[in-house]
Amino acid sequence: MTFDPNSVCHACWVKCLSSGRVQSGYNWLHKFWDLNELAAAERHRWTEWIMTAAESSPLTTHVLNTGDGVPAARMALSLHRLDSSMMIWNMLSVGTTNGDGRCSGLISRAAFTPGMYKLRFETGSYWESLGQNCFYPYVEVVFNINDPEQRFHLPLLMSRFSYSTYRGS
Amino acid sequence: MSVNRLHQLKSHILSDNKITAMTGSPSPLTTHVLNTAMGVPGSNMAINLYQHDHSTNAWSLITTGTTNDDGRCPGLITKQQFTSGVYKMRFDTAQYWASMGETCFYPYVEIVFFINDPGQNYHIPLLLSRFSYSTYRGS
Repeated sequence: MTFDPNSVCHACWVKCLSSGRVQSGYNWLHKFWDLNELAAAERHRWTEWIMTAAESSPLTTHVLNTGDGVPAARMALSLHRLDSSMMIWNMLSVGTTNGDGRCSGLISRAAFTPGMYKLRFETGSYWESLGQNCFYPYVEVVFNINDPEQRFHLPLLMSRFSYSTYRGS
Repeated sequence: MSVNRLHQLKSHILSDNKITAMTGSPSPLTTHVLNTAMGVPGSNMAINLYQHDHSTNAWSLITTGTTNDDGRCPGLITKQQFTSGVYKMRFDTAQYWASMGETCFYPYVEIVFFINDPGQNYHIPLLLSRFSYSTYRGS
């Protein structure tokens, strides 16, 4: 992918490249503005915003519908962290899986502190939306984060009567 | 009398699973914990069974047990107690691995499931390693 001088300024282009998210960054930029009309200052501002939004969460998931052999799209899920002093769960984010069964932006690096977390998947609602029942009304995966510098990938492989999860990369 | 028979008698007398000892009929809900990392049953793991109480929107504890040498926990619930509803089985996984000197990514595993037809038998195994687990509805 070469540098198109009509797209963004060279500094922003280099920033996109170094983030490792060239493809999505470049597509996002083209999607968001007609580059001949926006002033350079606005282009810079949009690039900054997109780069922040595109910075990947240190915690990711991937939900797969193993019954049908497809990603589980449009499944609601939420991330919680245990407040160990009050022994209650605080909800950190809510999301829905995309067409590929993924959900970006679960948590920022800054918010990802050591502790006990819970990912809750609304499996019952998901199967209901497909006109089927499910043995599990929801699935909660509770896990310990001791070293938040690492990346944690927690997939959920599920069918109507089974599920599995693992710590991936 | 063989050593095995002595162990069996001991577990009858000293069992904390009073349900089996008194009624003698098998629980319609069973589990089986397998340590897939080491290829052995998950024995001596603490398990709790809860039923969801819709009126209070809380979980009520039905049984506390520990898996035996084969990773099973007989006597989880009686046929009389086993009504339609939402149940939860909690497995103390971190405690299990800690007893073997290892850590576990999952402090505990809770499996929440619907029982619509309590006339059937339900088998809820847990296949577990330090960094993964799976479950399914078996027979």
